Amino acid sequence: MSAEKATGAALKVEGLTAGYGAGSQVLHGLDLTVASGEICAVLGPNGAGKTTLLRALSGVVRGRGTAELDGTSLLGRAPEEVARRGVAHVPEGRGTFTALSVEDNLRVGAYIRRDTAGVTAALDRVYGYFPVLAERRRQTAGSLSGGEQQMLAIGRALMLAPRLLLLDEPSLGLSPIITRELFRIVKAINKEERTTVVVVEQNAHLALETASRAHVLEAGRFVLSGGSAQIRADGQVAQAYLGYGI
Amino acid sequence: MSGFFQQVVLGLGSGAIYASLALALVLIYRFTDIVNFAQGELAMFSTYIAWQLTAAGVPFWLALPITLAVSFLGGVLIERLVIRPFEGGPELTVVIVTVGLFVFVNALAGLIWSFLVKSVPSPFPDGALDVGGVNISLQTLGTLGVVAAVMGLLFLLFQKTKIGLAMRAVANDPASARLVGIRVGRVLALGWGLSATVGAISGILVAPVLFLDPNLMGGVLVYAFAAATLGGFDSPVGAVVGGLIVGVAETLSGAYVDAIGSDLKIGVPLAIIVVVLLVRPRGLFGHAVVERV
Repeated sequence: MSAEKATGAALKVEGLTAGYGAGSQVLHGLDLTVASGEICAVLGPNGAGKTTLLRALSGVVRGRGTAELDGTSLLGRAPEEVARRGVAHVPEGRGTFTALSVEDNLRVGAYIRRDTAGVTAALDRVYGYFPVLAERRRQTAGSLSGGEQQMLAIGRALMLAPRLLLLDEPSLGLSPIITRELFRIVKAINKEERTTVVVVEQNAHLALETASRAHVLEAGRFVLSGGSAQIRADGQVAQAYLGYGI
Repeated sequence: MSGFFQQVVLGLGSGAIYASLALALVLIYRFTDIVNFAQGELAMFSTYIAWQLTAAGVPFWLALPITLAVSFLGGVLIERLVIRPFEGGPELTVVIVTVGLFVFVNALAGLIWSFLVKSVPSPFPDGALDVGGVNISLQTLGTLGVVAAVMGLLFLLFQKTKIGLAMRAVANDPASARLVGIRVGRVLALGWGLSATVGAISGILVAPVLFLDPNLMGGVLVYAFAAATLGGFDSPVGAVVGGLIVGVAETLSGAYVDAIGSDLKIGVPLAIIVVVLLVRPRGLFGHAVVERV
């Protein structure tokens, strides 16, 4: 079973710029290094460019500069080609296939995989992490609650056996209890599957608890980077940039 | 009473033909939210290919698979060359492109094969079954059987295969489909190819009944629109049920409502479209569009 698991890969980003057409550049040259198997949090206020960073990495928007996953360049590729290189992006708003059943959502997550046995094993593992999805496997995904849809989105990303998991605001619209549970599972996934995780969050407290390193993004530039503990200790700086205490 | 059932059987026969073209319409609509106005003309063009092959001496049962394969490739090419440049733009733009395609394909067929009508032999044997005084022609039975088989195959494709799962995912949310590694462009091209193939079957079923000329599918397309509207534009089952209902409604109103007769029969699909849009816009089997914000 362990042979079918993908292990995490190291992400190396240098001078990444991205935007939405002329005159609306959002990212102004980001450098980011994430070690294999690490959880990295990107914090920052609304409009800082957090979502754009993930979109540039997964090919949804065009990024310039370099972004390499274990030496494989991610930039200049369509999203489907980036996914085929082991990057699973859970977008803002979750991107659930609402008309498909829960199980079909998970199965389509493994679309690029050829190893049937591995897919079956992955399905069992996802149901292990999220038992509520197993209970609702025949329901259409659109009938799930927000929290369940977020679990489904993460579960679907896991089906790809990703080397890099990109999570965009997993806490969005969820109750604090469900958010806490979700982050606990993300941590468990990271530990058991050795998946490298980049999580973008507004909930700085929870993100710092989960991640080992964090970066604060402000108007398209990293203004603060370091170990989670260090950033938490540096509460005043963070408060100045994030607009709230940690 | 057997006269009534006779009309119902006749209606089912033509309804099956409407259903087959409606299936082709629904296939493209599910993937792209586009109503393909050229669907009927593509079917007509495919029918000419089949006719040309048989006229050149190729046996029908060999000409059929060749025609279907050529139609599939033609659908793929049209998606790649004509539709792809407008992908992601407003849906109206693409719909207008299909209207242009309608005119182009119609003129092209006229240019190649002229506008003189050609008679096409039926793939089904002559003769009829007598069931309690109701005459069921083998033509009708064969048409119904083919449409049922096409629907069954499409169901298996969508529900039981991996590529079918990918097709449903693309139909539901193309952006998310890309994020799981599905090459959406190829799936859309496959959808157009399948749709052109189903349309070709439709044309080959119609031609022996109506005679072949470049305007073969004009009327049928109107009935197919009514069928797809009634059944629900995103539902293959709905397309078939809608087609059968439209066929029966057309025949019965022609036979029993004097004011309609055979001249005003074409008004029946129009009336069905209007009523469905007023009463139940998503059709019998369609899904209401619900967006969670």
